[in-house]
Amino acid sequence: MIKSKYLNRWIGIGGVFALTAIGMVGCVSDVKKGDGADTQAADSSATKLMTIGGNLFSIPSPIQTAILIEKSGAQYNKEFLNDPKKVTTYATNFQKALNLGVYGADVGYVTIYDQSQDALKYLAVINKLSDELGITGAFDENTIKRFENNFGKRDSMLNLVSVAYRNADAFLKDNDRLNVGALVLAGGWIETLYFTTQLAAKSKDQNIINRIGEQKYTLNNIVKMLTPYYSQPEYDALVDELIELAYDFDAIDIQYTYEKPEVDIANKTTKIKSKTQVVITPEHLNAIAERVKTIRNKIVGQ
Amino acid sequence: MTFRIMMAMLVAGFVFVGTASAQCDSIAKICANNVTAKYISDGQSYRALLNGDEVAEFHATFYGGSTYRIAGCSGFTDGNLVFEIYDEDHNRLFASSDYKNTPYWDFEFGSTIDCTIEAKLNTINVGSGCATLVIGFK
Repeated sequence: MIKSKYLNRWIGIGGVFALTAIGMVGCVSDVKKGDGADTQAADSSATKLMTIGGNLFSIPSPIQTAILIEKSGAQYNKEFLNDPKKVTTYATNFQKALNLGVYGADVGYVTIYDQSQDALKYLAVINKLSDELGITGAFDENTIKRFENNFGKRDSMLNLVSVAYRNADAFLKDNDRLNVGALVLAGGWIETLYFTTQLAAKSKDQNIINRIGEQKYTLNNIVKMLTPYYSQPEYDALVDELIELAYDFDAIDIQYTYEKPEVDIANKTTKIKSKTQVVITPEHLNAIAERVKTIRNKIVGQ
Repeated sequence: MTFRIMMAMLVAGFVFVGTASAQCDSIAKICANNVTAKYISDGQSYRALLNGDEVAEFHATFYGGSTYRIAGCSGFTDGNLVFEIYDEDHNRLFASSDYKNTPYWDFEFGSTIDCTIEAKLNTINVGSGCATLVIGFK
């Protein structure tokens, strides 16, 4: 069942996690006993429970990186984005789910740059893809109408889109379609990394470059999320490519230093003072940018 | 007869899962009220059904320069879920139990950090239930 030479790395890293997950046909579990015992195999009823809570990885919102890009002073660049007209070319659920994520990242980007008319075009194709994937109650005419009613209020528009994606994520988890949810997240992540790497090549902005390096963490989580579906058609090639990308990311050194957090009880706030430092050479950055471009262009069909 | 029992168990299983799923949805909606309009949702739904002392682990990366609000809920009243946040070296950064099992807390991250959030039920109040986390940022 496991045929890839690349996957061996992840069996080493993910170990029992990946194999258990494949065996359970996607019922990934990170629920453990409170006494510190190892994660245990669940009985049949518990397995179903795990399916509901199965996907326990958080992938940072594409909107956060789009905000960083806008703050860097970069101009709006439509060329970074996937053309909404391509929506009709996505035939399989695999392609549709990945591009639902891609278009989600794109709508975040155009909204941040106040390109409301472009945002509406993206929302229309998001609506179409979610319909075709059978995701109900997340994106509909009402979402688009509310989005239009909030034109000019950037944060409200971003929140509407984000809540719609959260509802879609919940719907997919409730309906045991964790694979589709994982693809949506992966598509959004790849698209964001694509326009970040494209921009970094031109701007050399250190904050943007650091943000690329920090994706080393998230890439590990994305591979772990997708690995349980490796035996399904189309997933194997994507996982192999992501693992190749992870090898490129291995060259990035992230140094972490713990510092005691500072607590402000009155404002219910904790300031996390620990620090990370990203060390990435221009050569490694170029290698990552090239690989990301190849993966992304395959996803969107360029 | 055996077949009938099996079918009954199967149907009961589906009903249970459907009920659990609906319960999770309701809790998630209530929990989301703790993440006010000042915060943008991260676009994901985190939930796990827990029994007794089971712990759910949520793996997350928090970006430097952002403030996050994390809300944790189980059941329909506050204080049923205890959540703790650890860094990559398993240093404890936060425990809701230090603050009367607060249902939400804000976190200002100066640097990007890879974290694990551990969530468990407050077994004094509940024996089993759906653990839900909602994350927003600004």
